[in-house]
Formats: sequence, structure tokens, C-alpha cells
Amino acid sequence: MKLLFVCLFAALMLTVLASCGGQADEDGVITLVIWHDKEAEVAAALQTKLDELAPDIIVVLERKSGLTETLKLVGNSPGAAPDMFFFAHDKVGVYSEMRIIVPISDFVDAALLDLFLPKTIEAATYNGRVYQLPLYFETLLFMYNRAIMPDDDVPTNTLDLFRFMQRHTGGGHFGFVEQFNNAYFVGGWMHGFGAEMISADGVPMLDTPEMIAALHYYGRLMRLMPNEAEFATINTLFREGRAAATIGGPWLIPSIREAGIDLGIAPMPIVSETGLPLAPFMGVQGLHVLRVAAENPVRNEAIRTVLNHLISTDIGVALAQASGSAPALAASFDLPVIYNDPMVMMMLETAQTATPMPNIPEMDIMWTVAAGMLVDINFRGHEVEVAAANAQRRAEDLIALMR
Amino acid sequence: MHRSKNLKNALMAWTSLSPALIFIGLIILFPIGYTFYISLTNMNIFNWFDFRVVGLGNYRRALFVFDSGFLRALWITVIWTILNMVLQLVIAFVMASLLNVQKLKYARVYKTILMFPWAMPGYVSILLWRHGIFNAQFGLLNQWLYQLGMEPRRWLADDLTAFVVCMIVNLWLALPFMMMIMDGALKSLDKSYYESALIDGAGWFTRSVRLTIPAIRPIIAPAVIITLFTTFKQFDVIYLMTQQVGAQTGANIHTVLTYAYESAFVTRNYGYSSAVSIIIFAMLIAFSLLVTVLRKRGQSA
Repeated sequence: MKLLFVCLFAALMLTVLASCGGQADEDGVITLVIWHDKEAEVAAALQTKLDELAPDIIVVLERKSGLTETLKLVGNSPGAAPDMFFFAHDKVGVYSEMRIIVPISDFVDAALLDLFLPKTIEAATYNGRVYQLPLYFETLLFMYNRAIMPDDDVPTNTLDLFRFMQRHTGGGHFGFVEQFNNAYFVGGWMHGFGAEMISADGVPMLDTPEMIAALHYYGRLMRLMPNEAEFATINTLFREGRAAATIGGPWLIPSIREAGIDLGIAPMPIVSETGLPLAPFMGVQGLHVLRVAAENPVRNEAIRTVLNHLISTDIGVALAQASGSAPALAASFDLPVIYNDPMVMMMLETAQTATPMPNIPEMDIMWTVAAGMLVDINFRGHEVEVAAANAQRRAEDLIALMR
Repeated sequence: MHRSKNLKNALMAWTSLSPALIFIGLIILFPIGYTFYISLTNMNIFNWFDFRVVGLGNYRRALFVFDSGFLRALWITVIWTILNMVLQLVIAFVMASLLNVQKLKYARVYKTILMFPWAMPGYVSILLWRHGIFNAQFGLLNQWLYQLGMEPRRWLADDLTAFVVCMIVNLWLALPFMMMIMDGALKSLDKSYYESALIDGAGWFTRSVRLTIPAIRPIIAPAVIITLFTTFKQFDVIYLMTQQVGAQTGANIHTVLTYAYESAFVTRNYGYSSAVSIIIFAMLIAFSLLVTVLRKRGQSA
């Protein structure tokens, strides 16, 4: 009985694994699988567009939690890996080094890639090759509550912002809040001082004079922020009308509007000391192709068809609207539905100075180390110079270990 | 003839056991063996397919991680384990004793309520404590302080307070299991001993020390050992309460596992991370042997 159970189980597993491949069936229909981690609306918009390729090519979107880690485990397994995945650009370095993805330029003509906003292609480029077909992008935005911060009072530079915070902070209310221990958010301030967390060739840059200046300056603002720095607290304060302004992602906007906040979106303030605007990180979402799929001639051709089919303004717009982000195709911004949307246009403006999240593998370490540095300064009261020097040493050690 | 029958029985037994043994081998022994193999290689994201055996290099490097930070984490882990175990045993015993008071009304209702933390997913419970009670801006404790006209505080910012808070949360999560085991053990005791003790004038404390604890010790021993290991290798409570990326609180109360996670696993150097895992595994095995030896000595004494 037990033996029978084992045999049946093994047969079932083999059937499941074999069915994951997505080969062409007898009628020449090819089924491709795309893994993603997106909201239902975004997936539905993409699925609608991909369904236009049926019946020759059937594309199945599968939502995967823990997508990045799962890909590391099965990304090179023909039976278990998907054909493509839909994710942010910042992992292309890791997957490229692991050799589980192939450049998108193998499928799309270079001339077509010129149709995208240059920053989105820059984000998807690793070691000189483009690994992602960009679909939409997001940047952080300066958001304010018009009931507390009238349009005329919106700070255009960081000194004005600081003064506004001094006037409006107290009694459980705040002039400005953001996740001040999260390197993704504080990155905008670092860039505004000309600092960067890591160089393009993977050298940590946490103790440079520019970084020290940024951290000192930010420390003054931090003292006027709440006792907690994490996502839920910061967003709740803004949604409840207890914070006049915040820097947050477009994904917050639906819940902010639902809370009845009269939301305004403004350009990032200019850093008074440097004359540079706050330059937040930018994330580009798009499709990546798995090597195991690309090496199969039948599926290779189907993937080429899918990718080229997605180079159109309609899907960029549909995805941008579903996700509250901005389309990656430059021509999309000529469409009324886009240029009449102030939030999307503000994202485009911010993107001019935004910094794409570094996509080199070493960046995975920098997020952790930089967050530790911010906590040391903001919560543990360490001297900026000491915390930065410690963080630099730690980052160098961990990167050495990584290699 | 007799020998052939024995052989047949043995063959039959091994054949019957083999599916289970294969299953155990696949889910327990294979991962350990494979992790050990990876620990001898240079597998990282830069050598994902073409990694090769590099000998004990990762172990040499892993031992450098065992710097002052690691020793501090080890020390914290030991204190954490001892304090949690002592408190769990004492509180669970008292609670179980109270639940076994004769003619206690609604005992089943109390028991159900006390089991509640065990029924909830640990992840959810920890985050409820983190954000519902100890959030420095909106948490219940600070709301009370605010109502009393006092300054709110960051409960999880300094090491000692954060350690105590994490211990409270861990106790909340772990007590139901220990209490249930103690309750079962208490119920299995022969009541006639207590009648004699009562006639001799023994009070609750004396009865507990002289009768109850020696009687339930063999029954609860496996549960205590399991909990000991669970507490030693605790990760969720410490990490979710104080170290989540983007929600760090400032407390530096790493246990061995959280320290190894932050020092080794973020590097994506799988050879190195595996070596660290094997070292921690060896420590647990050593700890397990120590507990077994001490237990045997206790039994023979």
C-alpha cells in the first residue's frame, strides 16, 4: 500500500513538473508562463493585452510570492522555471551573474529600445546589456495635505521645508514625515547632496564627505519626525491628517484619497546647500527572459513575439493606470490620458533627476548596511562620522565575502 | 529454520520501514548533507553553475565572523534561553496548577482562552505586539502614557527594554504549549498521594516540591527539551520585533541566528552561509548531547 502511494506520488510529481514547461502542443499552440508579484489589476491589464496573441500563443500569468528567491532555486531548471518574469529592474545584476536571464536585446531591435525613456533603459542595463523590457516605472513623490499645507506654502527648497516642520510639529502632529531609517527613502537626500551609496563598480561610498554632509543635514529634520520610522506609522500619520507632507510612493495614493485627504503633489524640494533637487530612487517594472526558455527555439520565437507585442503605448498606459505609475514608452506621454494626469507627469518630472536603483548584486548588501547606519544615527545616537565609517567598513567586509 | 524466519521478519520490517526511512532521509538527512557539501564549495551568485570544492576555506572565514559581535550574540542567546525556560516552567506550572484546582468553575473556558496565543500564527502575533502595543507612536502603552500626561517612549530602542519586551512576547507565544503539557501531566498524577500528604499537613508549596514536580518531571522532559531548542534558535521574535529592514528599532540584541543572518546570509555567498549554518548546527548537536548527558545523570542520581 505504501509502495503504491510512493509510486503514485512520484508519478504525480513528474506529471506536474513536466507540465510546467510550456511546450508547443500538437496544434502548434505554445503556452508561455510569466511569473509576477503584482496586484490583480496590473496582472489583469497585462493578461488582456497578452490574450490578443491567442490562439497561437497562450500566455499564463502566475503570481508567485517570494518570486526572487524561488527564481534562484529553479531559474535554471527547464521543468520548473517560467519562461519570463515580471519584476523590478534591481535584480538584473544578480540574475545576470547567476546566468539565469538573457539580454532582452536578443529579442528586440535596438531601434525599438530607443523608444523608451532613456532612464528606464539605463535602469535595465547591466554590464552594457539590456536585461529587461521596461513597462512602467515609479519614483517617490513629494505629497502634501492641502488642508494643512496650502499650495502657496509648499516648500520649494529644504530650508523652507525645515522651517515649515518647525512651525507645524508638536502635539502629535508633524510638518513632514518619511521613513527616515529606510535607505530607499533617505537615498533621495543622499543624492541631493551629490552622494551615492555605492559606485557603479560596486565600491561602497558611505563615508564620503557628501554622504556625511547629507546625514548631518538629514539629522536636523529627523529630530522633527515621529518616534517610529516604519511604513505603517508614517503612512497612517499622513492618512489621518496628522502630517502635512510626506515623500512616498504612488502606491499610497489610492489609500490616501480614500481617507479623504485633499492630496497635492509637488516637485521635490531643492537642497538649499547644494542647489540640487532631492533625487529619489526610481524603480522600473518589466519583463525578463529566462535563459532556459530562450534556449528552446520554439519558445524563443514565441517570447520574441510577446515582447514585441508589448512595445505599444496602450499596454504601457493600461499598466501605468492599474499600478498608479508612469509608462516607460516615451510616446505614451503625448497621449491626453497621460499628460492630463498630474501625478504621472510629476513622476516624469521627478524621473529627470531620479536615480535608478543600482542593479548590481552588491546593492543587496548596501540596503541592509545603510539602514543599519541610519538606525545607528537616528535611534542609537551615534556620531554621523563614526556610524558612516563603521558602515563603510562593514559594507566592504560583506562585499568581500559576497565575492 | 528459525534463523531463516528471523531473517524474513527482519527483511519484512525493513521493507515496511523503508518508505518512511527514505522520506525521512529526503527531508532531513539530504538537506543537512547537501548543506555540508555546499559549505565546502565556493558557491555564490558569481559561481552559480561552476562552483567548485574549496575545502574548509568557508569554515576558516566563518570563524572570523565569530568576532566580538558573535560572542555577544552567543551570550545573549544563552541568557535568553535560560531566562525564557525558567519563566516558562514556573509560570506554566503555576497556571496549570490553578487550572487543576478542584471544583474550579469554567476551567475549560479558561483553558481555551489560555490556548489562544498558540492558535494564532506566530508572525501575526509578533507584529500585533510590535505595532499594537509597543509602537512608539500609536502603541497602546504610549497611548496610556500620553493620557497620563507622560512623555511617550521608544520601548524597543534600548537593548535591555527591548530584550524584556521580546521575552514577554516569546512567553506569550510559548506558554500555552508548556501549560498544556503540564496540565496533562498534572491530570495523570495519582490523587491518593496528595490525600496522604494532606493528612500529613503538607501545604501547596511542599506538595508541589516534594510530590508534583518529581512526579511530572519525566512526563514534561521531552517538551522541555523541545522548547529549549526552539528558544535557543529563536529568530522570529527578535527579528520581527527589532530588526525588520525599514523598521529597525535601534536595539542591538542579536541572537546567534539573527547575527548569522545579518553577517552571512545577506552576502548571498551560499558556500559561506552553509558553513555558518553547519557550525550553528554543530553547536545545537553539542548542546543536545550535553542535555542528554545531564538528563541521564539526573535520572541515575
